[in-house]
Amino acid sequence: MVEQVLNAAVNGLLLGGVLALLAFGLNLIFGVVKIIHMAYGQFVMLGFYLIYALTVQLHVPLLISCIIAVAAMGALGVVTQYLLIDPLLNAPRLNQLLALAGLIIIFENLAMVIWGADYRGIPIHFPILNFGSLYLRSSCLFAFFGALATLALLYVFLHKTYLGLAIRAVAQDAEVAQTMGINSRTIYFVTMGAGGALTGIVAAFFTPIYTVHPHFGSSFTIMAFIIVVLGGMGNLLGGFISAFIIGIVTSISAVLTTTEIADIIALLIFVLVMLVRPQGILGTRVA
Amino acid sequence: MLRVRDLVGGYGDFIVLHNITIEVNPGQTVIVVGPNGAGKTTLLKHIAGLLKPKKGIIEFNGQRIDSCSPYKISELGIAFVPEGGRLFPYLSVYENLKVGSYPKHARRTFSEAVEEVFELFPVLKDRRNQLAGSLSGGERQMLAIARSLMAQPKLIMLDEPSLGLAPKIVARVFEFIKEIGTKGYSILMVEQNAKKALQLAEYAYLLESGEITFEGVRDEFLQNPYIKKAYLGI
Repeated sequence: MVEQVLNAAVNGLLLGGVLALLAFGLNLIFGVVKIIHMAYGQFVMLGFYLIYALTVQLHVPLLISCIIAVAAMGALGVVTQYLLIDPLLNAPRLNQLLALAGLIIIFENLAMVIWGADYRGIPIHFPILNFGSLYLRSSCLFAFFGALATLALLYVFLHKTYLGLAIRAVAQDAEVAQTMGINSRTIYFVTMGAGGALTGIVAAFFTPIYTVHPHFGSSFTIMAFIIVVLGGMGNLLGGFISAFIIGIVTSISAVLTTTEIADIIALLIFVLVMLVRPQGILGTRVA
Repeated sequence: MLRVRDLVGGYGDFIVLHNITIEVNPGQTVIVVGPNGAGKTTLLKHIAGLLKPKKGIIEFNGQRIDSCSPYKISELGIAFVPEGGRLFPYLSVYENLKVGSYPKHARRTFSEAVEEVFELFPVLKDRRNQLAGSLSGGERQMLAIARSLMAQPKLIMLDEPSLGLAPKIVARVFEFIKEIGTKGYSILMVEQNAKKALQLAEYAYLLESGEITFEGVRDEFLQNPYIKKAYLGI
């Protein structure tokens, strides 16, 4: 039993790494563009399908497919900004939310039409590693370290480059940033592009672990939002921490009870934190 | 250098400024004084490109800028220090200064410029890695002005730099502004604190209820009986 829980904890930790990437993208977009990307999970789904189509249907090598998918999802992020968010920057918040929610329906049905409702997987086999009583899927290990490496790169980008500094400035005060020579509109495009590329990276890490279907995105969207709000919306470190909390808690709960109850437990924790500290673990209270 | 002619502007349909005409010549320090709500901040926001005028033109070095984006105007050489400084609260002192040097031409000179600022303000150097939101009022104002210098501007616009500061700190801030003026920067400053601000002025305007009701060189201002009574408390 202890071994099972330990295994679950470690696997949850590994999963948490990739969830942290998702949370980072959502937090970045919310912090900078001030918009809740309702269709983020669907972006991941599309990235996954793209890798599937390239690898299985067009026989492109997996690594190349992943690189193409990351670039394509980045481009999709920019296009989404151009067609959907930019025109609605000064519109009521509700309109922005509804427009992005509309994307959910478009993407899911697009996937249904093109690939059908069956689960699609990419036949690659990563070995299972054995450390004493610990059984780890090397695909999860790879995803974990890959996610951490990506996050480290993103941290360096945000803190050591002028563009990264501009992104952080726009997130804090877009109006003043403009008077310092920063074109906020360009920053929004860059942010949406980066957020999109992140979904491609997450999809790439998911390929040896999951199979994709048109509603794949929905299962992650709820989880991703819980993580983001739990950590404090817009707070990158908060999202990072709560990703691991949720990852480990759901994993252990799933082993001790069932997957469904695990989800309930995660949501219960979320509700409790919201009651006690509505701004999230590291969030700031808006008076 | 800066010419504002017959500017009519405000917020949407709410017109605040009526036919404003002001000028700043190269190297000059121009002060706009007036009571609260007169439209001083609105005027600076129009010049900075944050608001678009309903009528009138704004020219900088012969170029029309009234329809330009704020970031373009910043690149042309106009720096804006908003009311209260409006620093980036979660960026450090050093990072705030770095953002100031964002325009491409300013990045090359950033390291030297930062050293100069730290020499002038040892207190900012001590706090270089501290979050800007945790500085005191006077330190914040100094940092905001220093930040505006990072972009190598030609014209610096200051919105009520004395607001919320203790008199001793105000004196230091104004001393600093005076020093900047002697270095050759053109300065356009709006202030409620007429008495202190006019000491720095080469030329001044009086803005009341959105209209320029008086203008002149410093001595004309200081000797005008209405201004002496209403704004200088004499």
